[in-house]
Amino acid sequence: MSNIAGKAYAMNVITPIRWYTVWLNKVIFWAALKNPSTLKGLITLSLIHYARWVIIGRNQFPHVHPSQPKEDLKYAYMLFFSNFNGSWDQYVDSFTFAIPSGLDMFWKWNIRYPKSVALTPFHKYIRYNQLDTLHYYNAYPLATSNDVKSARIVKAKLLDFDGATRESSDGEFAREYRKLLRDLQHDLGDMYPTPIVSMSAYQVERRQRWHDGQLDGSKH
Amino acid sequence: MSNLSGNAYALTVLSPIKPGIVADEEIAYADKVRSILLGWNELKNSPMTAVPQTYLCRYFVLDNPYTESLPGGGALDTISDWLPVVPDWLRRAVMPAHDQLKSRYLVFSANVHVGPSGDIAPYLRGMWQAIRPQIESIWQYCYGFDEVKDADGFAAYIQRCALPASLFFVGSNDEALPEQLKALYIKQEFAKFAVANQGLPTATLRQHFRDFMTRIAPHELAAPTWEPGKYRLP
Repeated sequence: MSNIAGKAYAMNVITPIRWYTVWLNKVIFWAALKNPSTLKGLITLSLIHYARWVIIGRNQFPHVHPSQPKEDLKYAYMLFFSNFNGSWDQYVDSFTFAIPSGLDMFWKWNIRYPKSVALTPFHKYIRYNQLDTLHYYNAYPLATSNDVKSARIVKAKLLDFDGATRESSDGEFAREYRKLLRDLQHDLGDMYPTPIVSMSAYQVERRQRWHDGQLDGSKH
Repeated sequence: MSNLSGNAYALTVLSPIKPGIVADEEIAYADKVRSILLGWNELKNSPMTAVPQTYLCRYFVLDNPYTESLPGGGALDTISDWLPVVPDWLRRAVMPAHDQLKSRYLVFSANVHVGPSGDIAPYLRGMWQAIRPQIESIWQYCYGFDEVKDADGFAAYIQRCALPASLFFVGSNDEALPEQLKALYIKQEFAKFAVANQGLPTATLRQHFRDFMTRIAPHELAAPTWEPGKYRLP
């Protein structure tokens, strides 16, 4: 199992929907897509890299070969995939506290959805329907979603500063440099590995320590 | 298209796994796939580091959907409390049904950069070119994969197994991966520069800044930068 890759956590949740209410869920997602202001709540959850909802109709599981048996299901299913920073509890709780109505809207028509408030039934629902990831890859395990966003700002402002001060006097350069640092106060900051950067990194380092004789081979 | 948000693409793939058994190991194909994917965690880094433009991706095996029967929060659940006369058979009848999949599915879910074209095929061809042996090692156990012989075949096959997203949310940004990695490198280096160059006379600071800009080469995406999947700092 490898739900963690650096500072990102991979969540997969599969929940059943009655086939005859799938259209309601699709309308809700369509409306959210057409009216991005409805996603404002999600944007405030700046710990998310990427998230998606996929609805699989009960006859829509991929069928790619004549020898493959066709599925015969009572329910349609909704898959939710998220990539977020921090712990499972922090993430699930932030949903409950930041956007409970939005969350209820997206899961409302799922079988036995208990609503996002109160916390304990919601935790149980997500945990019960969650699927663990076997292999999780993150192109930037050292960075959070906020790091990726702020890095873009740092780069742009640094290039602007560089362009604007090439021909300026030393006094102007110093003034603009201080201004640059003030402007970037929210965006600068070192990135460091988390204690377990990824399961693979953990395994590699553990193996290295074992080879170095720092670990008992039997515990490897 | 809802798979697309700006230049980022949400790829969701469910490939049905055949029901066979790996003869010499006496394990089911699905468990063999599981074992190979877990083995990737033991490598120095993920094979996906070699696949261009992959922000984040995951693999798992879907054996079955879950059916839980905790109290729900729907209107009917509440009404049943108000109506003590609801007979037992009706109360039992609202228990969720239990679905059973006929195949297990290899799930591959990726967030990738595709650019303004919105076409996922070039990404999939790039994936085949970068890690063909690893792809074959897991997808060989899936229905229909026998017919995949080249990059185009792989792209077509994966698109047959793909499902559209109803909603794709990008909380990060949709720049090309080399741009994102270069920006992260610059952010890290500039934070160090700002700390190390406090309180210097302006002329010295300026000279250091010039040297710094030359060293980080902000317009060169190839180097210096962070390589994909970098998890340690020097």
